[in-house]
Amino acid sequence: MGRLAGRAVLVTGGSRGIGRSCVELAAAEGARVAFTYRANTAAAEATTAAVRATGVECLALQADGTDRSQVQAAVQAVVEAFDRIDVLINNAGIIRDQLMVAMEPDDWDAVLATNLGGTFHFTQEVAQPMMLQKAGRIINLSSAAATQGGRGQANYAASKAAIEAFTRACAVELAPKGITVNAVAPGLIETDMSREVRSLAGDRIREEIALRRFGMPEEVARVVLFLASDEATYITGQVIHVDGGLRL
Amino acid sequence: MDNNQVFDEVRAIILEALGVDEKEVELKTRLIEELDAESLDFLDIVFRLERSFGIKIPRGEIERNARGGLSDEEFEDNGMVTPEGLEALQRVMPEVDPIYFKDGLAVRDIPRLFTVETFYNIILAKLAEQGRP
Repeated sequence: MGRLAGRAVLVTGGSRGIGRSCVELAAAEGARVAFTYRANTAAAEATTAAVRATGVECLALQADGTDRSQVQAAVQAVVEAFDRIDVLINNAGIIRDQLMVAMEPDDWDAVLATNLGGTFHFTQEVAQPMMLQKAGRIINLSSAAATQGGRGQANYAASKAAIEAFTRACAVELAPKGITVNAVAPGLIETDMSREVRSLAGDRIREEIALRRFGMPEEVARVVLFLASDEATYITGQVIHVDGGLRL
Repeated sequence: MDNNQVFDEVRAIILEALGVDEKEVELKTRLIEELDAESLDFLDIVFRLERSFGIKIPRGEIERNARGGLSDEEFEDNGMVTPEGLEALQRVMPEVDPIYFKDGLAVRDIPRLFTVETFYNIILAKLAEQGRP
């Protein structure tokens, strides 16, 4: 029996990177898994196929987290398919790096809308079924950028710091209904999203990581799933850093 | 569904949402003052009522209806319910003891007046709107 046997899990942005690892590990722990993706149908199909090959139910839902009606439809589809929703992993996020002084307002807006707005929309939509169940786990993906100024990441850093504040506020509000809300803040992880940063400044950054290496998506996913499991019943409103000891 | 069955269901939902002892919940029981309900509990109760009775109670509708059709300016002054507002409240919430509708009632304290019967009446009105017995 896996640690998430029978649980219904929704991962946003689950077709690639850390999200995909969360989908695959949750399935391996016995969960019924749904994930959203925005546009990359090929990646979504690959993730679905990988999970189904292990004999586990998996639902891929195309949804843009900035569009409330699409978020609503995705959450409804999960509840209809699994009859409940136990875990929400708010992972979907984008970067539009640029020095703040040169940043296009559209890039500011897009990052805030996807990273912070999407987290809000999904959290609000799952809160109702979770309240009715009197149980739920919400795990938000933050970033080391939330607390460590990153050049060219004013929009991304602001969105992630806001997600941490949102996490604490939601934890306080939802605790009486048996719902925990936590965040995981990864450092530099080997994903498509961080490829450019790693190739431009990888050696310098590696020097600043105590473990002297970048993280793997599954090393983040394992912490996310710990927070979703029965091993984390007394943790809420926390941010767990998974960064190999970045700038300690 | 007759009115007794509606009341039993509303009561069961309030018991479930608040996790309180059955003996504590009667028609006139005040949810905040007597059962320690918080604002999130009201939403929880609304979610459960919607599911159980197959109805929709749009967010904010209960607060809006409590104003009895008055504008914000007519209903409140600096966060306090006006005399006209008190009359409207009393008309809309006949289940509440009139002693609570007095000068000095703050708008933020209106939910303190809500009783089990408030929700029971809301459901009866919703069912009547739908032509359901």
